[in-house]
Amino acid sequence: MLTPIIIAQVLWTSLATSSYYILFSLAFSLVLKINGAFNFAQAAMMTAAFYAAYTLVGIAHLPAWIGFLGAIAGSLVLALLTELLGFRLLRRRRSEQLFVFIFTLIVSEFVAFIAMLIFGSYPTTIFSSLLWPVTLVGTVAVSGWDIPAILSTIAAIAIVFLLLRFTRIGQAMTAVSDNAELAELYGIKRERIFLVTMIVAALLVGLGMFLYGSRAQVQPNTAIDLMIFAIAATIMGGLGNLAGTIVMALVLGIIQNGSVLFIPSEWQGFLLYAFLFAAIVFLPNGIRLPEWRRMSRRVSAEAVSAQNKQEA
Amino acid sequence: MGNVKRILMRLGMALALSAGVVFAMAPAQAQDKTPLQFGLAMPLSGSQSLYGKDQVQAAEWAVKDINDKGGVDGHPLKMIVLDTQADPQLGIQAANKLISVEHVPAFISAWSAVVKAIAPVANDAKVVQLSVGANSPDIARLGDYTYTTFPLADVDIRALAKYEATTLGKKRAAVLYINNETGTAAAQVYKDIFTKNGGQIVDYAGYDPNASDWTGLLLKVRASNPDVVHIQGLVADTPQVVAQMRQLGLNMTVSSYSAIYNQHFLDQLGSAAEGIIATSLAPGLSDPKVADYVTRWKKATNRIPNGLPYTEYLYDAPYLIKDVFASMLKNNEKLTGENFRKEMLAIGTFNLPLTGKTTMSADHTVNKPVYLVQVKDGKWQQIAEVK
Repeated sequence: MLTPIIIAQVLWTSLATSSYYILFSLAFSLVLKINGAFNFAQAAMMTAAFYAAYTLVGIAHLPAWIGFLGAIAGSLVLALLTELLGFRLLRRRRSEQLFVFIFTLIVSEFVAFIAMLIFGSYPTTIFSSLLWPVTLVGTVAVSGWDIPAILSTIAAIAIVFLLLRFTRIGQAMTAVSDNAELAELYGIKRERIFLVTMIVAALLVGLGMFLYGSRAQVQPNTAIDLMIFAIAATIMGGLGNLAGTIVMALVLGIIQNGSVLFIPSEWQGFLLYAFLFAAIVFLPNGIRLPEWRRMSRRVSAEAVSAQNKQEA
Repeated sequence: MGNVKRILMRLGMALALSAGVVFAMAPAQAQDKTPLQFGLAMPLSGSQSLYGKDQVQAAEWAVKDINDKGGVDGHPLKMIVLDTQADPQLGIQAANKLISVEHVPAFISAWSAVVKAIAPVANDAKVVQLSVGANSPDIARLGDYTYTTFPLADVDIRALAKYEATTLGKKRAAVLYINNETGTAAAQVYKDIFTKNGGQIVDYAGYDPNASDWTGLLLKVRASNPDVVHIQGLVADTPQVVAQMRQLGLNMTVSSYSAIYNQHFLDQLGSAAEGIIATSLAPGLSDPKVADYVTRWKKATNRIPNGLPYTEYLYDAPYLIKDVFASMLKNNEKLTGENFRKEMLAIGTFNLPLTGKTTMSADHTVNKPVYLVQVKDGKWQQIAEVK
């Protein structure tokens, strides 16, 4: 059963389909790391992104790139609404984390309900056809969706880490994630940083949902199901460890796809929950993957402040 | 005076004539007497609503047609429609409302998981649940108050498996099924019948209802080298499984059941759908009554209904209920679930407008011909009628 051909195909398809899982997990992990929010409302951003793209491409028959911009716009609008009308207000009221989490759950269910009212709940895709052209590379079937998905995901990851590593706003984001109160004492406007983080997360989600919706069928509650994966990858990768989250999303994607070669297929869906259960009970800090310091280096608020003053 | 007399006489004659016309029309109006209520619990929202809404539409047309022709001995039929989202819990809530609030003696439901969940409620309340469209073989074993007008999975999947093993001469089959009520039981039936008819099951695998990628599963199928792949899934996953099959170079014959027998499936898969075989449990467009019915759909909605065979059964169901009500009225019986069941079994065989003769067997099953359809030149075409 485990021939090199099968292993190569499973690895390739897993790599390609992990693209959107990585983007969802990275967005979730980023908001958790910097804003300190367990943002289940990301599902609402995903739903808005998909239906914006579907409206433009699937219904209005506009070109794919307009659908992509629509997905980004849909996700951004939800992110801004959630941050400005939700998170910011709750922070001012010093609401408890549990209350904030419940708020994000309600937002995700609310948007799914609205989507169902407007679009119905029949499964659909951004493009009318489910088929992508396939090229055989050796013995591995590579679909026309795979390469753009992998390349755009790599580009998105690179941009996020370059942002965090080399830009002032990125360093401020890292400083806020370390200690938001201290960062503010040194002149970093944390509310602005929280907003920027939500915008970055929205861009990742918009791209991820465009990729997902152009390959698989989506219903209004699909995003809520997908969030389980993002949460699992974030917890198992180590809370706040962005590189760990990415690696875990990739590993979980491969395990999910490849597990059918080793275990009865009925247990495939169970695996994710089993890993999540084990991670929460036995590894509450996640699997200790080495932090990718060169890309997400820890930056003190003092350093950012000093740099600000120097440049001023 | 003479003129007045003549006018009065003419007026009297006109009144008498009008009264005669009114009395003659009375049976056709069906508005004066107490409505006879029954329930319909269907998915009007949720992932299955595409089918559910069309099925409700078909039943509503039937009720309208019955009432336009005088109802049941002058009593109009009244159908109370509730949403289940194809969710068992919501199905139970709908059944409770129909039984406790609306006091119906019978109601129609569908989707195997929903029918199964409702059955104990119907049994406790002694109210008849008519399953119309659900096809799990378990439905025949749900107690005294759940009956089906729709052939169970044993019928169409048996016919399909036998046809593929014998007529088509397929020897090696792979069976993929969604791991829920819809998939597991029917997949087992296919496996048993295909094997019994000389075939070999070379791969037999379930998949998670939330799955979005089937690469590993399909590579196992490819390695097992079947000459037919039977997929027992739902409308959300089956097209995706087929699309990934074709992308991975699995070009063997694919079969499924009536869930994929719709135009949307063809639109999603284009040429990749060519050759796929499905089942249908109701006559197709070659039947003049069905052709008229489809014309009605096209006029009203500019399309054919989703899941045409299911809607045919839903159109027929109110006629069955009408016949039972008529018998109850004729025998001066109270409109209770117990009496409904008694009369329904006493009548036994119903002549229904679209799907024809239906006999309610004592073992809670019905037996009808199975129609096999295949995608040829981008269209569904009937290839066999299996009796």
